[in-house]
Amino acid sequence: MVRLEPRRGRLIIHVFKKKFEWTIEPRYWRNPIIGLIIWLALPVILIGISQLFPISVLRIISTLIFANIICMIAIPLTVQIIGTGRVNFGPHFFAAIGGYTSALLSKNFGLSPIATLPTSFALGALIALFLSPITIISRGLYFVLITLLLPFILLEIAYWQSEIFGAETGIPGVPILLETGNVFLDNVLYFYLSLMIVLLFLFFADRILRSRYGFLMGVINEDEEVAESYGINTTRMKIPTFAITSGAMAIAGWFIAHYYGSFTGPAWLQPSFLIIILLTTTLGGKGAIYGVVLSAYVIASLREATRVAFGELSIVVLFIILLLLLYFLPEGFWGLYRKRRYREYFPSIKIRRG
Amino acid sequence: MLELKNVRKRFGGIVAVDDVSFKVNKGEIVGLIGPNGAGKSTLINLVSGYYYPNEGRITFTGEDITWKKPFYRAKKGIARTFQNPRLVGNMTALMNVLYAILGRNGGENLTLYEASAEAMYYLDLFGLLKRRDVLAQDLPLYEMRLLELARALALKPRLLLIDEAMAGLNPAEAENVSKLITRIRDEFDLTIVWVEHVLRILMRSVERVVAMHYGKIIADGTPQEVSRDPKVIEAYIGEEI
Repeated sequence: MVRLEPRRGRLIIHVFKKKFEWTIEPRYWRNPIIGLIIWLALPVILIGISQLFPISVLRIISTLIFANIICMIAIPLTVQIIGTGRVNFGPHFFAAIGGYTSALLSKNFGLSPIATLPTSFALGALIALFLSPITIISRGLYFVLITLLLPFILLEIAYWQSEIFGAETGIPGVPILLETGNVFLDNVLYFYLSLMIVLLFLFFADRILRSRYGFLMGVINEDEEVAESYGINTTRMKIPTFAITSGAMAIAGWFIAHYYGSFTGPAWLQPSFLIIILLTTTLGGKGAIYGVVLSAYVIASLREATRVAFGELSIVVLFIILLLLLYFLPEGFWGLYRKRRYREYFPSIKIRRG
Repeated sequence: MLELKNVRKRFGGIVAVDDVSFKVNKGEIVGLIGPNGAGKSTLINLVSGYYYPNEGRITFTGEDITWKKPFYRAKKGIARTFQNPRLVGNMTALMNVLYAILGRNGGENLTLYEASAEAMYYLDLFGLLKRRDVLAQDLPLYEMRLLELARALALKPRLLLIDEAMAGLNPAEAENVSKLITRIRDEFDLTIVWVEHVLRILMRSVERVVAMHYGKIIADGTPQEVSRDPKVIEAYIGEEI
């Protein structure tokens, strides 16, 4: 059934008749390990720094959690943009689907968070599957407009059926995931929980993008017609990609609902939240999932910093700063790390010159 | 092998391909000529599935493929090149061959390593092995054309549709490309339909020429016959006054 076959620098996993390759090259492990250690130690580092300034520790931790929430939406979105070749302008719609699903199910039917997690994923994926023909029939501006309309429709439904969806007050009384009695400890634990989810997303996104499936997704992203005329069934690639990544975005909604203990649709369906997500994917570097994490943290902290420093003007200043970053970093934050001009669709294969 | 029956394609009011019927036999190398706007490229696009005809039927090895999608035709063994090289510019030369290998019939079971090893073979065939890590957009036109041929060949096609392989090349390069095409035809046992504007070289390399004008086939025969056909001369030079 399952057989492992080690080769030089890679591991081939045979599952029935399918083959999966896993590149194992320790010489490329240094930087990811350093990055992971910094990431895990981030709360400790920031709390240490915060002792020097009059900033509340809780505020820092909740900013980090917000960054993780952005990551949970932006990482699947990046994979989706590569896999469908289209920019989805309604990622927060799918997040809201997940949020409403878990909030309503746990409030009305008393489901535990463990039960609402697969349900919100499944419902998000199902709605995306239902909507997936738009990835075939529309492209460019039409696709943008269709996906942009979805969150507004949901927003109107939330206001219209306010006794179900709670409109602006949201759906309170959603069971929360962790409770130790200590607010600070709770938040730190939430940070690590959200980090685990983001790491899981990163792991899956990385494995997918480095696989042959991810490589073909890259071809679709670049030129769909060429992909089609070289034997790639683009329809069969785009629909599962769209459905599964949208389901993954719904998981972000699940986390939001169970973290805040309530789900307020109008707060998350705002265009400003969409702009933050889209800027995260763009500033991360096109198609760079690790850059997305970096830019999510930068944007979340900038958002919080401008809020402290500028008060009412904060959102204007934030967007001006982000605009300047877009202008000066056309390749995104990942471009600073990797000084390459093209996207690496499968970095694992290095052909030795000889 | 390939058969078109009464195929018609309209774009609005213009009839680009008008009631065309012709047959390509296995192992043949057919040149398709005609002045600008004669419908040669449209015909290639119809066979490769880029467009669907308004009327008529297209069969390939006995199977009706009129309404099949391009990827299905590619898997069946119809490969094409594009008039303006359409490579994935953001990918290296190797990757451009790689996806054709993964996309072809039977490519589903290959891993990226196996496929890239094979891709190098196809690159080597066209002398592009040294250029494998160069982005396709950075290649000169000549090498782009060769890469397109390598990519088409990587599909392991039975029928190769070439849409102007020599346009924009200097005479020596064009000569080289035509030699390569005849070589791969013999080596890989291909059937080739070859659209070209550079008639001098084309006439030497093919065994049969089909001439088109205003969407209709006006001549069909050996290069000598077609080049002497008064209708063809008229189409190229214009009506005598």
